[in-house]
Amino acid sequence: MTASQIGSSTRRFGGYERVTGSQEFVADLRLDGMLFVKLVSIDCARARIVSVDTSAARGLAGVVAVVTSDDLPQPVPRFGPVYKDRPILAVGETKYHGEPVAAVVAESKEVAEVAASLVAIQFEELPAVFTVASALNPLSPLVQEPELRSAGTLASTNVLSEQVFGWGDLGATEADLVIENDYCFPMVTHFAIEPHGCMVVSSSGGFEVWSPVQHPYLLQAILADLFDLPLTRVRVVAPDPGGAFGGKQNPKFEPLLCFLARMTNRPVRLILTLEESFQATRRTSAEIHIRSGFSRDGLLCFQDIESNFLLGAYADIAGRVVSKSNYLGCGPYRTPVAKIRARALLSHTTPSCAFRGFGTPQVAWALESQMDAAARHLGIDGLQIRLMNLAAKGEDVVPGDVPADGEWAQSVQKAASAVGWGEPLEPNHGRGIAVGIKSGATTGLSYSTIRLLFDGSVTIYAGTSDMGQGARTIFAQIVSDELGVPIEQIDVVMGDTSVVPFDLQTSASRSTVFMGNAILDACRDIQLQVRELAAELHGTALENVRIVAGGVFISEVKVSIPEVVQASLGRLRGELIGNGTMRRTDIANHPLGGRPAFFEFNCTAFEVGVDVETGEVSVIKHVSVGDTGKSLNPLQVEMQDEGAAIMGLGHTMMEHVILDESGRIANLGALDYRIPTSKDLPLSLSTYSIENADGPGPYGSKGVSEGAILCTAPAFASAVTEATGVVIRNLPLTPERVWRAIRDGASDSSTVEQV
Amino acid sequence: MIDALPVVLNINGLKYEFEVLPYRSLLDVLRDELGLTGTKECCAVGECGACTVHFDGRSINACLMLAIEADGGSVTTIEGIAPPGEMTRVQDAFLEHGAVQCGFCIPGMVMSAEYLLARNPHPTEEETREGLSGNLCRCGGYNRMLQAISSVSEESTP
Amino acid sequence: MKPFLYQRPGSLAQTFDLLSEYGSSARILAGGTDLIVGLRQQSVDASVLVDIKGIGEFLPEVAFADGHFVIGATTDISRVCENEKFRATFPALVEAMETVGSVQIRNRATLVGNVCNASPAADTVPPLAIYGAMVNVGGRDGTRQVPVQEFIRGPRQTALRPGEFVLSVQLPVPNAPLGVAFARLTRRRGVDLATVNLSCSIDSVGTVRFAFGAVGPRLVLGIERSGVLADSGAPAGDRDAALANLIAATSPRTDIRGTQDYRSAMLLVLSRRILAEAAGRLDSGQP
Ligand code: FES
Ligand code: FES
Repeated sequence: MTASQIGSSTRRFGGYERVTGSQEFVADLRLDGMLFVKLVSIDCARARIVSVDTSAARGLAGVVAVVTSDDLPQPVPRFGPVYKDRPILAVGETKYHGEPVAAVVAESKEVAEVAASLVAIQFEELPAVFTVASALNPLSPLVQEPELRSAGTLASTNVLSEQVFGWGDLGATEADLVIENDYCFPMVTHFAIEPHGCMVVSSSGGFEVWSPVQHPYLLQAILADLFDLPLTRVRVVAPDPGGAFGGKQNPKFEPLLCFLARMTNRPVRLILTLEESFQATRRTSAEIHIRSGFSRDGLLCFQDIESNFLLGAYADIAGRVVSKSNYLGCGPYRTPVAKIRARALLSHTTPSCAFRGFGTPQVAWALESQMDAAARHLGIDGLQIRLMNLAAKGEDVVPGDVPADGEWAQSVQKAASAVGWGEPLEPNHGRGIAVGIKSGATTGLSYSTIRLLFDGSVTIYAGTSDMGQGARTIFAQIVSDELGVPIEQIDVVMGDTSVVPFDLQTSASRSTVFMGNAILDACRDIQLQVRELAAELHGTALENVRIVAGGVFISEVKVSIPEVVQASLGRLRGELIGNGTMRRTDIANHPLGGRPAFFEFNCTAFEVGVDVETGEVSVIKHVSVGDTGKSLNPLQVEMQDEGAAIMGLGHTMMEHVILDESGRIANLGALDYRIPTSKDLPLSLSTYSIENADGPGPYGSKGVSEGAILCTAPAFASAVTEATGVVIRNLPLTPERVWRAIRDGASDSSTVEQV
Repeated sequence: MIDALPVVLNINGLKYEFEVLPYRSLLDVLRDELGLTGTKECCAVGECGACTVHFDGRSINACLMLAIEADGGSVTTIEGIAPPGEMTRVQDAFLEHGAVQCGFCIPGMVMSAEYLLARNPHPTEEETREGLSGNLCRCGGYNRMLQAISSVSEESTP
Repeated sequence: MKPFLYQRPGSLAQTFDLLSEYGSSARILAGGTDLIVGLRQQSVDASVLVDIKGIGEFLPEVAFADGHFVIGATTDISRVCENEKFRATFPALVEAMETVGSVQIRNRATLVGNVCNASPAADTVPPLAIYGAMVNVGGRDGTRQVPVQEFIRGPRQTALRPGEFVLSVQLPVPNAPLGVAFARLTRRRGVDLATVNLSCSIDSVGTVRFAFGAVGPRLVLGIERSGVLADSGAPAGDRDAALANLIAATSPRTDIRGTQDYRSAMLLVLSRRILAEAAGRLDSGQP
């Protein structure tokens, strides 16, 4: 019998491969006879394509094809996870900086590159939309042609969707203090260290596609739809992504590669440069106007939120980013009255999509900064105002929906004590604290199959994508405990739609809960089969056979599961197969289509020191506490939490995509777009978990991995305010921005009504 | 047409003789021609360190070196720092301390950590941060990497 | 990268032959850390790279002769930083060199290359100028010396004439007590290009020299002899006025790394700081 795996810091599955370089990412795979694809784009965001001259490129030795939208089926097919709005290649005009106009296919990477530089594109820059203000202006050009939009009054505007959530009667609500402000959260880019890429083979009427995609089954469905193929004819192999963070959820260039593979009848491969990856996807930026009402003693009376999220030229999944984050726009608090108006706006910028936190960091930036503004005006401590408004377990967050599912105050208390809340501070130092909640996954099916082989070893099939969160490890831990199999004898197979059963997606921190439960269910299936075999073997009734901690008890006699299987199946051998699912269905009329399966709650606290002459901020302490229900693998929980914290520090302190007047990304690439390095790591970074086994996942677990990015920015900014007295409402808090605020004496500029 | 030029390189203790186009980087040659794909490519401009290898015993960005420049030298890649099936103490400590998430940055990170400890077996935390600062990890495992390196440093006798 | 030829001459004479044969389409390759990036991003065009690492005449490391340190064109920055005597003699330059790129970059990038790249943001240039560095330019007809601040004429522009290339940089060992300091400001703590960088020196007769980088098309040098900057007891207002006077010669611009007014303000803040540091070094007898 092995010691319990659940709750232990089992080493990462696939760890050996990752530290030795033998882990194969998509760019490490080679296909015989493959051709290399290079995308051709223009140095402008929105432009009319006047002409494309491919003759010089075609004439180069080693070039197999140069393809523009004219070479594709007409009208050019479009695709997308929600709206079919993205063309395979630009049609008539480009809509964002980097949108490919042509693709070169060549025998080598170098030839493809040279040929791409020989494609001569004449274009004429067109007026474009790059900001929230211009997207809202009725005189601005339309990003998407109305005939391509679904019908409705919004089709002739740049508003993709507009949703209003709320409860209570705002007009009839009074407050002693009303604070009103505008907040800005800029575009940031995922910057996975593995750039995007894919390979496609066209074969026997279908395709084999290699893509480090987070949702292989969605990619399969989209390709099958585009090419009118049965799902069986589209095989998606999804090697583990080298970081995804939401950026690799949905198809980008896989459809193009399918066309190219068909046209050339050869395997084709496209590995983007980092710069092209920047141009492929980004976080949805936001401008949020918010009015918050409080009673004299600090209780929330209402929130009135108008948030405008700036999407790119194609919707991708960003509409859902907006609705899901704004649905919980009032945070983890008891909010008596709320009105939230959230718009998703199209613009001539990089298509935005999911990014760790899925819109919540944007919303929490505004909301939590408001809590601090109120605390300052009321003379209340930032910790107290949160504790006093936080929903207790079982209390409503959104009335009528899932109530608070954790003892959230415990996390807040833990963070406060870890950061040394209330202790004396050096000059120009400050502390800040903030909270965030994100709605976990809502709906969908996760399916798992488990094979218990004759010798007692196990193969788990799970359609999850192991992109750094360590899903394989967690799944193996569950099976190890449930079936009494040593962890070394477990194999986890993922990432191949031809072999592994369906999983809706890998996102929204769902895998431990959804796939974890499916695996638990599959284990139960096997346990039942084992009990039946044991009962038969020992000539006893089923109820006399129990399975406890992976061991089989027949009355008082204990045997192992493999012993039962081997004795029963005998000389002719065999195996047991267990199936398991977790499925949550749509709820009609629910704004999110379904209730959150859990909330991901986090409290983050900082101590910072500010160089008031230069605006540089030193992070002395950075504390993150997550409400994990149960940490199935504490080491993995901590590393993901730290990772999310560091990523949050990036968008808080230094990251933003800068556009020039033509909508081009001015800081395109690693030289000019800065993310945190080892030197930017806080002097002390610590993470903690609150475990009350109150989650819906296996053993009371909840999803983790996004928590620590939710409220990094407001906690940090609040600490800077305490250190300097200045209040900043635009991210990131670069040294220059902090310096400027100090120079301008930018103390709290909230519009305040005090009754 | 530009001709390929002959190159002799010692890679991970083995002698390789081949011809290379002058404008191919060492990284491209390692990955595309020799199948040593443990060394990764991300930025191709010397910022991310995913391509870190040791050239004549010193850590460098393989994306910024031409293969032809390496002629006559010796290269150690991630594949060459431990015998197959084994790990160095740094690699082991990375796993033990949870420094490995998606893993894409890890080969380069390990090469930087090995180089740091080879030159300075007992680095201060500040020296370790400096030693890793040419390697980006978007999964944000830096804290764990510092712990891993400090555990290796503590094991070795001062 | 677009295709190019590669040549690896074994001597200076062969190198000059190649430079005259290929003219302006030839590029000198030493560390390559800027050149390869430029080629990849197509901001630099070259039909041939002339790799000078095979030239027999180059001294491999850091040489010392006649009161000068000589850093050859193929000596990488890490090697220079490892030289204990050099470290002790030029601490502010070493600090600047240690901010260039990452460990991996410094193991390839040469000090000469950092100068030849002629980037307004190059961190080594202000302290090189303060220490009185000379650039030894080689041509078919001999060698000429150019002070570093004259060698860099503007962004990506040097005083090199056709057929010439830089053989070495040389630094005189200060012959009188001197305190020198260096500072830079960046957007993050990790490897980054400077928003501003600067260096200053102070000598025992109270002369103060400043060099400001990243705040104009080329290095800005200033000298203050009144003694007010050397006198830490002088009224702060007078000292700031003297610094402001020096800074007035700079012309910082707004770009993605910083705005013009931030850069100007930081020059004053950092000038005060490095002045104090340089004075401390002078007092403690460090150069
Ligand atoms: S790929 Fe070489 S440093 Fe990024
Ligand atoms: S582990 Fe993913 S980038 Fe470092």
